[in-house]
Amino acid sequence: MKMHEATPEERKQFYSEEWNKRELPDFILHTLSLREFGFDLDGTGPSHRYNQFMTVEKLMEYLQNRAPYSVFASVALYDQPSMRKGWLKSELAFDIDAKDLPLKSCGCTSGKVCERCIDEARRIAIEFADTMRTDLGLHNIVFSYSGRGFHIRVTDDTIMTLEQTERTQVVEYVTGGVIPTDVTMALGYSQVFRERLARTFKGLDEQRLSKARGLRKSIIQKLLAEKERALEAIRRGKLNELSTLGGLGPKTFRQFLDFLVRLNSECTDGKVTIDTKRILRLPSSLHSGVSMKCMLVRDMERFKLEDALPKFVSERES
Amino acid sequence: MIAPEYVATLDPFGDEAKNLVEKSPPLDSMPQEIVDRAIARVKWSSREMVVESDIEAVRAEVLSFYLMCQGVAAVSYPYSREARLISDMTKNTIKYRMYDLFKRGHGDLCLEVVKRSIKLVELEEGDVVKLGSVEIPREDLYKIRDRRLAEDGIETIDDRLLPQYLPKYGVRWTDLAPLLRHRRAELTKFYLVNGRAVITPRDLWNLFSAFIAVRTEEYVTSVYERFSDVGAPPKRLTEVGESISSLLPPELELRERFARVPGGKLRPEAFPPCVKIAMGGVGSGVRNYAITVLLTSFLSYARVSPSGRVANRIGDFIKDISVVRDEIAAPIFEAAERCKPPFFKDQPQEKANVYYHLGFGMTAEPRLDGSGKSKWYRCPNCSKIAMSAAPLCDPDEFCRNRKIKNPLTYYFRKLSEQRSGAGG
Repeated sequence: MKMHEATPEERKQFYSEEWNKRELPDFILHTLSLREFGFDLDGTGPSHRYNQFMTVEKLMEYLQNRAPYSVFASVALYDQPSMRKGWLKSELAFDIDAKDLPLKSCGCTSGKVCERCIDEARRIAIEFADTMRTDLGLHNIVFSYSGRGFHIRVTDDTIMTLEQTERTQVVEYVTGGVIPTDVTMALGYSQVFRERLARTFKGLDEQRLSKARGLRKSIIQKLLAEKERALEAIRRGKLNELSTLGGLGPKTFRQFLDFLVRLNSECTDGKVTIDTKRILRLPSSLHSGVSMKCMLVRDMERFKLEDALPKFVSERES
Repeated sequence: MIAPEYVATLDPFGDEAKNLVEKSPPLDSMPQEIVDRAIARVKWSSREMVVESDIEAVRAEVLSFYLMCQGVAAVSYPYSREARLISDMTKNTIKYRMYDLFKRGHGDLCLEVVKRSIKLVELEEGDVVKLGSVEIPREDLYKIRDRRLAEDGIETIDDRLLPQYLPKYGVRWTDLAPLLRHRRAELTKFYLVNGRAVITPRDLWNLFSAFIAVRTEEYVTSVYERFSDVGAPPKRLTEVGESISSLLPPELELRERFARVPGGKLRPEAFPPCVKIAMGGVGSGVRNYAITVLLTSFLSYARVSPSGRVANRIGDFIKDISVVRDEIAAPIFEAAERCKPPFFKDQPQEKANVYYHLGFGMTAEPRLDGSGKSKWYRCPNCSKIAMSAAPLCDPDEFCRNRKIKNPLTYYFRKLSEQRSGAGG
């Protein structure tokens, strides 16, 4: 699927003919007047901040008149969103951007995306949400396709007042960003860590492994040759077997684990999650850079990129 | 038999403790044995932490706790190394008492106190162990037990101690947010199932005592802010504070100082909104207040971070006058220049007034030995700023969430949180 930039005329067409307020998720619709809106009017960046809309009709009017390049809404709710004052609470948000994934099986270079890496981002988003449900006991979790990846947005009241330090700890937990003291327990962080480590290890190739500090070529080749056994060892929490398979000494093994953990952490942009005043693309709006709709995804398992194609793209291609 | 007031020895912020304090004479007129106890508390290591179960012993314990906190607030600042020392020592003390009570068969008393702050559910024991609808593998429970025993360095254990190490409760992780915020707990170290951390009684005592430690730091902050309002703290309190300061372990002092203000420089990124507004230059209505009152006191106290003795003279805390000239006065003068119209242009005498407020008397050339010629003004509380110079007060989310009452609290707290956040 080719992802072209939308022209100003196509943006106009999208917001006049296709954009529908019914596609705004309830969690945004019900708090619309408490959110700050930001706009990128011409593709130069979201410099039009501090906007507040009291009704969805006013928002619609703005979108139809200005046909912005990108539309954003805050994860935060404010007393006075137009001044970004009187912070009330913020969603817990994760940004899993396919273009920034640390490991891509498709071979896209950093900053580029294809259907395959978007699918990898989708799988990561599903994993993260599962952990938030089963371990963190969070229930109000929604996904949105952002145009180049996925956003997870959590609106449980219990987490909306968390601040940066707590959110940092949630990121560490969900991504597997810390080496646990015990990797063998069936549930809890131990399990999360094993799963994340296995996913990361599975995605490694020679080129990527060569960037790990202290890994000689012979070790890299051994690890790759024994990849399946190594993966099995990780899944069972037998990390020492991983060390034996690769013939790694204690210091190199520790460095290797640190390397894997860093890759785990890079699956999401932690800055987005900890920033309680972040603006994120508005589900229902157009990602003009790739001519895709940013949209709420109700069923992640069945999500198809075609669902996010605006009409003008089909017309363009027909 | 344990008296109901005894819970005050576990929760100094509970109603029982407050009642005891209210019925007692002011803290600055305490008898010598309470004063001695307030100071000695920071050196306790084991049995001296245990309080006899009689009302006088409990009263002495509670009063000495408050005297210790107020003493520290009198000679240091929020989140100072003294504040950290007493909060850590309080944590150890509460923990020790809970371990001890549990061992002596008074686990219910501990639980009663803990339940006031932490909501608990018990694991369901049957053929399988469950937390809500989730079955917890027994192997995991044994591993939690063994890990906790290993953390405490216990290799052989008796029947009285063992129950403390058996996973028994579930606690919502979101209820532990204050501990996560201060990095007194780490999410990845918990065994989380369906939103709850599975913990042992031992963990429970640890978490509760960490809560009390956080509240101790908050209490020191509130007393500091009260002193900022009323002026100099009572002499008795400063004596207690100075004695506690002198007991600060030197290695802790060094580490903390290094971590808090690298290179001893001010950290503008942690300035509160009012100070940022003042630094940017303000209009003629509030210039005087912004420059002479707010910036002069804020920047000097933030830069010097006076602790160890009552902050009467800036010269007691610095060795080189260039700190005053280059790091405190210079940014104040720059901010004054940015005012509209520039502050010193039409009121040049105010330059000397800045040094006057720093305690050097009316002079344009401050000297270290001139420190103390006038009063070193404390930083006004937020309520005073809002009243005297309303345009300066534009609280941000940190002000609101932390219920900040003094700009210096904002600064020291932000540094403290940044430090604990970075510490990982």
